[in-house]
Amino acid sequence: MNDTEIAQALGTVEPQVNTDDALTRFRARVQSEGIAGVTPVAHGRITSRWLQGLAAAAGVVIVASALTLSGVADSVLKIFEPKSVVAVPITQSDLNYLNQACAGLNLQDCMGAYGTFVWTTPPQPKEVQTRGQASAETGFAVQAPASLPSSVTGSPRYGVINRSSATFTFSADSTRQAAARQNRTAPPMPANIDGSKLFITGGPAVVQIWGAPAGATGATGAYPDVPTLIVGQAKAPTISSDGVTVAELQAYLLSQPGISPQLAAAIRAISDPSSTLPVPVPAELAISHPVTVQGVQGLYVGDNTGIASAVIWQKDGMMFEVIGSFTESQALSIANSMR
Amino acid sequence: MTLPAREGAGIPGGAGHVAQAISPAFEGLFRAEYARVVGIAHRVLADQAEAEDVAQDVFVSFYRAHPADAPYAPAWLHAAAAHAALNALRGRDRRARREAAQAVPIDTPAIDDDPAYIVAASETRDEVRAVLARLPERSAAMLALRYAGLSYAEIAAALDVRASSVGTLLRRAEDAFRRELR
Repeated sequence: MNDTEIAQALGTVEPQVNTDDALTRFRARVQSEGIAGVTPVAHGRITSRWLQGLAAAAGVVIVASALTLSGVADSVLKIFEPKSVVAVPITQSDLNYLNQACAGLNLQDCMGAYGTFVWTTPPQPKEVQTRGQASAETGFAVQAPASLPSSVTGSPRYGVINRSSATFTFSADSTRQAAARQNRTAPPMPANIDGSKLFITGGPAVVQIWGAPAGATGATGAYPDVPTLIVGQAKAPTISSDGVTVAELQAYLLSQPGISPQLAAAIRAISDPSSTLPVPVPAELAISHPVTVQGVQGLYVGDNTGIASAVIWQKDGMMFEVIGSFTESQALSIANSMR
Repeated sequence: MTLPAREGAGIPGGAGHVAQAISPAFEGLFRAEYARVVGIAHRVLADQAEAEDVAQDVFVSFYRAHPADAPYAPAWLHAAAAHAALNALRGRDRRARREAAQAVPIDTPAIDDDPAYIVAASETRDEVRAVLARLPERSAAMLALRYAGLSYAEIAAALDVRASSVGTLLRRAEDAFRRELR
């Protein structure tokens, strides 16, 4: 049986339909059964915002990677890949500086302060229906918490982000111009850094979100704006360099105006920068300390009000994070139940 | 694609609320996709009236839970058409088996004016439907979508598989179909 015969077996002729009649029938059914539809505008906004959140998450992965420039390889071939995470305190002055440099949180603009940032494979977040589909999309087994606090109910939504990559080319001219826009004078960029490239990759990643339901619940804003639980899992980001050394980059970047002495000291104190992912933690707003999670050392970050907790860890080449309105013990319990 | 909406008491969109006029966006979607949704269901059921019933159910399900302007709307409708038609087919098979077990003579289905009936003889048609009902869900859905004229990209979007995998998955589905039909 060839393809044509299969086609014939399944029927080769399109049924002739009367769409107007079908639409009349549909309207009558909707009316008689009292079926209400989803408001397109409201839902569209929610979906769009949710996807924007995913895009932001992808951006954060890349930015977090970019912030670890101290971890860039010593040679062309050596690749940065985090094996552990460590908190680095970001002060208000650091944040002010970053806010100026990253006005509007546009990644390209932010990175543009030092050169040219180009996505070679941009992150394209999308929603899938099941954990199995998320695993199929990302190519790794997506883990999920086996036990949840009673405050977390319902099923999660699944977002996947493809493996993304970007190239960043340092530019002394861009740096001078960016500094001038902020009425600052940047330290001169070493000649061997000017024009050198960083190759950054992140993902694929999966984000599971509880408490952000799709569909009808959004029509009146009855859904919770803040998800009750976010679980993220991603292939660890990597950075490679076409020649500039760790020491050169670290010395140059940490000499930038606006980088606080505390942040510079914390980054310099990282013992193995080629395999440690620094997680910026706002010093005035949050606390953090190392924790043991899934048998490895991870990082607990909690805000000072006790409202939100996050646990971040790295295991077997994957980065994980659990974020929500929990106590530290609840957050750790969720993290340790991930299977 | 998105998860089914969670509906509940007191939330607009839940059962029991007064229906509103369908939006222009939904009407546009209906007009754009109705024939194709019926076509997919028809590949599975070989019965236009039944295929149109399935299409109505598919659009109602979508209307209840998803915005008409959702970018995933066509893919969702295509997948739902295939799955709903396969469910209807299996339900039809179960009914037929029950009736056969009761040993009540049943009339041979009349051949109507539907051109698909002319193409496939009655015995072959029934056998083809039985094979579709036995095939794994994704294989059967893939055949229905492909032979309803969807592109590889559209099949990939509907069944949430990589576009680069569609050719291989389709060949496997066709092989399985041939083996079962022998």
